[in-house]
Amino acid sequence: MNFNVLFAVSPILAVAFGGLLLMLAEAFGKPAAVALPAGVVSNDAGAGRSDELALGSAVVLFAGALISIALWKVGPEKLDGVAALAPYLIIDRFTLFFCFTLCLGGGLAALLAGGYLPEHNLDRGEFFPLLVFSTVGAMALAAAGDFLSFFVALETMSLGVYCMIGLRRGNVRASEASLKYFLLGSFAAALTLFGGALLYGATGHTDFQGIGEAIATIGKPTSVVSAPLVLVALGLVVTGLAFKISAVPFHMWTPDAYEGAPTPTTTFMAVAVKSAAFAILLRILLVGFGDSRLVSWGGTGWPPVLACLAVLSMTVANVIAGRQESVKRMLAYSSIAHAGYALIGVVAAMKSTQGASSVLFYMLTYTVSTAGAFGALILCGHRGAEAVSYEDLAGLGKRHPPAALAFSFFLLSLAGVPPTAGFFGKLYVFSAAVDSELNVLAVIGLLNSVIGAYYYLRVMVYMYFREPEPGAPIATPMRSGFVVAALVLAAVLVLAFGILPGSSLDVAAAAGLSHG
Amino acid sequence: MNPLAQFLFQVAPYVLAFAVGALIPRRQGTPERVALGIIAALTVLLVKSLWPGAQVVDETVNAKEWPWLLSVIVFLPIFGAVFLLFMPRQSPVILKRITFFILGLDFLASLFLLSVPMTQGWHFQQITAWVPMFGIRYHVAVDGVSMWLILLSTLTTPIAAYVSFGSLKTRIKDLCFAFLLLHGAMMGAFVSLDMFLFFVFWELMLVPMIVMIGVWGGVEKVKAAYKFFIYTMSGSMLMLAAILYLVWNFTKLSGYPSFDYLALQHVNLPHTAAWLCFIGFFLAFAIKVPMFPFHTWLPDAHVQAPTGGSIILAAVLLKLGAYGYIRFCMGLLGGVAWAAAATLAGVAIGGGIVYGALVAWKQDDVKRLVAYSSVAHMGFVMLGLFAGTQAGMEGAILQMLNHGISTGALFLLVGVIYDRRHTRLVREFGGIAKVMPIYAALFVIVTMSSIGVPGTNGFVGEFMIVMGTFVSQTLGVQSRLQAGLASAGVILAAVYMLSVVQRVFFGPLSNPKNKHLKDMNMRETIAVAPLIAFIFVIGFFPNLFLNRVTDSVGAVLTHYEESRRAYMDMGDGEFATLLPRQGGPLEHGYPEAPGKADTSGQAQALNGGAP
Repeated sequence: MNFNVLFAVSPILAVAFGGLLLMLAEAFGKPAAVALPAGVVSNDAGAGRSDELALGSAVVLFAGALISIALWKVGPEKLDGVAALAPYLIIDRFTLFFCFTLCLGGGLAALLAGGYLPEHNLDRGEFFPLLVFSTVGAMALAAAGDFLSFFVALETMSLGVYCMIGLRRGNVRASEASLKYFLLGSFAAALTLFGGALLYGATGHTDFQGIGEAIATIGKPTSVVSAPLVLVALGLVVTGLAFKISAVPFHMWTPDAYEGAPTPTTTFMAVAVKSAAFAILLRILLVGFGDSRLVSWGGTGWPPVLACLAVLSMTVANVIAGRQESVKRMLAYSSIAHAGYALIGVVAAMKSTQGASSVLFYMLTYTVSTAGAFGALILCGHRGAEAVSYEDLAGLGKRHPPAALAFSFFLLSLAGVPPTAGFFGKLYVFSAAVDSELNVLAVIGLLNSVIGAYYYLRVMVYMYFREPEPGAPIATPMRSGFVVAALVLAAVLVLAFGILPGSSLDVAAAAGLSHG
Repeated sequence: MNPLAQFLFQVAPYVLAFAVGALIPRRQGTPERVALGIIAALTVLLVKSLWPGAQVVDETVNAKEWPWLLSVIVFLPIFGAVFLLFMPRQSPVILKRITFFILGLDFLASLFLLSVPMTQGWHFQQITAWVPMFGIRYHVAVDGVSMWLILLSTLTTPIAAYVSFGSLKTRIKDLCFAFLLLHGAMMGAFVSLDMFLFFVFWELMLVPMIVMIGVWGGVEKVKAAYKFFIYTMSGSMLMLAAILYLVWNFTKLSGYPSFDYLALQHVNLPHTAAWLCFIGFFLAFAIKVPMFPFHTWLPDAHVQAPTGGSIILAAVLLKLGAYGYIRFCMGLLGGVAWAAAATLAGVAIGGGIVYGALVAWKQDDVKRLVAYSSVAHMGFVMLGLFAGTQAGMEGAILQMLNHGISTGALFLLVGVIYDRRHTRLVREFGGIAKVMPIYAALFVIVTMSSIGVPGTNGFVGEFMIVMGTFVSQTLGVQSRLQAGLASAGVILAAVYMLSVVQRVFFGPLSNPKNKHLKDMNMRETIAVAPLIAFIFVIGFFPNLFLNRVTDSVGAVLTHYEESRRAYMDMGDGEFATLLPRQGGPLEHGYPEAPGKADTSGQAQALNGGAP
């Protein structure tokens, strides 16, 4: 037994172990008697225990993030037994960076849930173990280097999310969202799996490294690998993952699922699921399909395809987001647009070593800004009156300055206004694109951020410049230490990455992957 | 001479000025007289300290430049703004006092800029690494071009705040926050010599300006705020793309990344790329200036903004566009700027000076009229810059100050009448000189300055610009014609300004609502007094201002000429090159390659930090 191996997987193990403990605690704990409204009989053991469970899962997830940092400091390449886990789990700096981002996103979502669920009568204990296990799946997804572990991790992550969306059982929209995400998600997973099967047929490998080496032999006289089969498989895998990162035109489920889900689930989906999907996308494309003929702007390469997806995602999502009446739906479309910006970085990885690093850093900044924005939206509503539409927020700047200020701050970061984290994320992605001589793509991205800024500004206009219609329901912020803690943490990180991005940029640069 | 007599002799001019300022106004209270007297005495002090003879003394006393000065000027208001966020909004008086105190302190700090002669090169330079991976540094410095603009804004922002505190009663906290943040961001944009830092401050200005327009504007405030936002944001995004492209080229050529202005100045791009980058920069600045046809946001924003917002917008924010053109379009992409100058000068004359004046003539709303007159005046400024001659550039910089002072004063005066009648339509007024004599007199003085009557500041600037245009090599054969047309624009300015003065102030007092208008009150008179003083100071002693600008303008033009030659030598289809370094004070602080950083640091230390 090599302890190095245990140490190497400790971020994932710690979170998984914590998740088990939480599940036991939830199952055998006593339901709180006080939290239930009169007339509601609960047979749910974890009911009314959100406080403890939220705190527990936040501690577990932030511990995972800290362990990732510790492992980073030690250096995963110095642990000699790590190669034993390959190709199923690859523990490198890339994985650790994503582990940190995912744990951070999951922890913030757990804190938000700790405030949101009791406030909206959804105080059901199973949410928290599900959240933690989904995060474990996401971390394993970021570490996966083989189609088998990739698929297992993908399903571990997704199954938990399907349940978390449908947490509000009686609600039609939540059921619709859950079912829609489940059906389309299964379909996408099947496509990816089919792609993996074809690749196995073509190359005889399920691990990305082996697939990449087999593809490199295409064109040599001894090669038995069928090139068309590889291209079909590439198309299937990209399609399946484009669904998970919700890139246009595979985004149709996103607005409905994001809107119907409880907001902490939406946060988790926007933050962790998307980051993990980007991690595996980068690894498959750069390791499995890293052959120079595939990583080219010519006929058979994936960069032009992803560039089209990026342009479509940004433009379509930004235009539609500007027309939304619901802030939550607008944030859903904005998360599609952000997938588009990050895709620019993926395309840039074809030439520049900075490309993959820029995606990593972008996902980190996007995680803190988006978790903050959804958290602020949660903070703006209270029991029975969740803040969803623009009208709900009218005049909030006057009635509740701190909530409005927090919301504005995160929206500015999403819009990419300096000196916030979102700005450096965008800057890194666009400068990586210019490095790869993708000037047109960078300009399209920049122009899109103008459109994006318009609808973020619209929220601020409603909060600060509009007065609510007489008699219209207005949002009154809830009181919750959990939500405030999450917002403060996110705000500090947004400012820190925005004003002193030096060290985190260096870390992202060191974590990057390059192809070939 | 007896020391006492000598002392009296030295003090006499101030006492005299104080007496004149304090005794001349009629029907005023004591505090107002004292304040006006102090302003008069301070004006004399300024003239004396700026007089070329007096400078020699200053040079020996203040040879050392304190590198933190610019950081203090920039971050004092920004930290003040953040601090205000944590103050209770129920106590507006304290908020107002803190704001005014910080702005005043900033003004005093900025006066130290006058303590050194603006010789060629950068002054008060401060450099610290910020994001080493991208080659981003915190690099701030001033030269003759930016120094007066900084002083102009540290002077006008407290005035604008002072005026706004009188007329606005609601949401004082938001107002104070917006003022401080805007002021800090503008200062930052003027002193940044790192393209990234500049961009950060450039974007930071958006938020407070939108707050100002959107919170206190009139009926269509939200539309105006959106319009302002979309215009400026589109411009700045294209600028960011151009910056990134320049940085990428520099990185490729020199082997290490840098966002530094001094480094990027040496990138000589091939023609197509240079044109695209120029368009990126130029659009951002043209929108800010604003130049025809990007000017349509300006009247909307002005009409909706409160008086204080309008003053800042006119006095400082528009200058950032022209400043950006000098510093970045001419400094980074001189070749294209040269090639485009003749065409753009035509646009500045046709679309700015003439069209702006004609549209201003047809306005009913006085504030809208002043806004369009801004378009015309900024047309003059841009014409001076396009001319690319020493006289034209100096005139343009002086005209920027003039426009800030006279248009700021005009907006202030329009705000005065708006506070009383809540309308600005010309047809509502007529003959109000009878009820408001002081107001009418001040308005006429400012009008004269705006038209450019000799003896006021406007004359000097416009005269120098027309002169510079006339002899310009850059504009080629059309320069004579363009100078002629620009002079015709001066006449148009007289037409629209005088006709509105005639309709508002003279003639019969027809509207009964105007019968009982109160004349200027103490707050308003004190606010406008420094601006009136400067109208005459610049009008009579323009050299006080120009002698600090000359060297820097010379440096800008030298580099302009160099990059023009490099641009001409660059053939089609060639790759970007790096111009050789010239050395000298203008390249003090050039970012060295990371490996060399230690040795250059030592070299700088040996030089003792003196430029």
